[in-house]
Amino acid sequence: MKRRIKAVFGAALLAASLSACGLDINAAVPYQIEPASIQPVPSLQGVKVTVGSKDFTENIILGYMAEMALTAAGVDVVDLTDIKGSNSARQALLNGQIDMSWEYTGTGWINYQGNELPVPGGEKAQFDATKAADESKNGITWLDYSPLNDQYAFAVTDAYGQKNNLKTTTDMTNFLKQNPDQAVFCLETEFTSRQDGFPGALKKYGFPVTTIKNFGIGTIYSSIKSGTCNIGEVFTTDGRIKGLNLRILEDDKQTFPQYNASVTLRTEFLKQHPELRNVLEPVGKAMTNQQMIDLCKEVDIDGKSAAEVAKNWMVGKGFVKAS
Amino acid sequence: MTAAVDTGFSTESGSKRAERIRLFAQPLAVVLIVGVTMVWLFTRNLSDTERETLNGAALLKNLGDHLLVTLVVSVLVVAIAVPLGILVTRPFARWAAPVFLAIANIGQAAPALGVLVLFFLATGATGGLWVAAIPLTFYSLLPVLRNTMVGLDQVDPALVDAGRGIGMSGSSVLWRIEFPLAIPLILAGLRTSLVLAVGTATLVHFVDAGGFGLLIEAGYKLNLTRVLIAGVVLSVGLALIVDWLGAIAEQLLGPKGLR
Repeated sequence: MKRRIKAVFGAALLAASLSACGLDINAAVPYQIEPASIQPVPSLQGVKVTVGSKDFTENIILGYMAEMALTAAGVDVVDLTDIKGSNSARQALLNGQIDMSWEYTGTGWINYQGNELPVPGGEKAQFDATKAADESKNGITWLDYSPLNDQYAFAVTDAYGQKNNLKTTTDMTNFLKQNPDQAVFCLETEFTSRQDGFPGALKKYGFPVTTIKNFGIGTIYSSIKSGTCNIGEVFTTDGRIKGLNLRILEDDKQTFPQYNASVTLRTEFLKQHPELRNVLEPVGKAMTNQQMIDLCKEVDIDGKSAAEVAKNWMVGKGFVKAS
Repeated sequence: MTAAVDTGFSTESGSKRAERIRLFAQPLAVVLIVGVTMVWLFTRNLSDTERETLNGAALLKNLGDHLLVTLVVSVLVVAIAVPLGILVTRPFARWAAPVFLAIANIGQAAPALGVLVLFFLATGATGGLWVAAIPLTFYSLLPVLRNTMVGLDQVDPALVDAGRGIGMSGSSVLWRIEFPLAIPLILAGLRTSLVLAVGTATLVHFVDAGGFGLLIEAGYKLNLTRVLIAGVVLSVGLALIVDWLGAIAEQLLGPKGLR
């Protein structure tokens, strides 16, 4: 009897220590997924694909969406979402611990290729450059990019934006030139350092700056809301934009780097299973910033699980059926 | 840090000679390490991104902010923890000691960043020096409070009795016998608190209070090793200097007969 208790205790301890690891392995997608507009692909039946993702809400949601799309197509999916840190996720892809993950064109260009400045000319130019460089240097293929563009932007509260009629960063510049006392910015040190962040925006738009307050990226959203600063730096797909009623000012002169989401795979893996492209690309194409803000809000503010939110969206778009 | 030593009042394990050597060696080492790092940095070809944080004006501002937070925290810690420690060792308030110790324990056990951001949100998301200093005070209160209590408790009751016997009042016994004998331990606690404060002050940039944490954050996020190293070396240097000042204070402020 005593021995059995010990064994149970030991097993429980082992399970606890295993689940505490950074990479939680859930063998399958947590829902029963049936094909809908994504139909089973004969050549993909039983092919094992390990899907990874980075550790923030948006990327985890995208990871689950890919898993559901692949499951509907008949792929045997292994879930490795929520890998801590961009660099770890990237290493896992390069080393073959995962077979695909959602990347961002700007991250690929600036962080992985080591460029200090983004490619001018908008989303497509940045995508083409990143894709070509990563393909030739690292053997990573980028599938066609999504309209989802998780980039930097300035944001104000919706009330402030309405009162002063601010829609774009040019509106903001004109407004601040007439009211320099309003030019109080909440920024993160990364944003004030990198040349394609605040220094670049300052050069391109030429708005006046009265006060810069340095905050962590997590605290900026509430600082805008509380009026500690009139203008803050945000990420365009964060759920708090909706949760706190913030308004994004469009980067109409395109100074900030583009961060379109795109599925990345090792080129040789894609060559073995070229059908993956047609399964995954439609999902990315259907996603937009506005939808992602809503989905992130459902997870970060309403407390739903990323898998559930991803499932509802995939079903709503008619990609899959779930039970 | 909190143990009452019955043999004497020294809070150091080494001999007096070793302590004296350390008093000279520590600042020298700091000057050397920080100096070499700065020379190494500013003779490199820094990129524009690195230059946003690695320039004289920005570094001085960070130093000032970091010191200011540390200073305010130290003053607050002394102003709160020492009177509180005296109060809860008085016979009429002794029952409250576990309560305040528990509160201070919670303060130290809670993650500094969590306390900082919770306080920031609770005070209307304003940020700045005080929003940073108050939670950090809560965080670094324990060593001084605990050492004040231990310092006062470990005074030989015979000495207190003797004081009463020659006709001293209760407060006179406290200020002329108990408190002076407790000072070495209180100062040792303060030294620990100060080093804690300098270390955690690398987090206050999250709430607009600046400091060398800005360099660490920028260096880490942008993968700029030189910026990261600058932030780390400067923080460490500052912590060592503050620790050294604490050691000097222990030498100068302790009761003469016990030095």
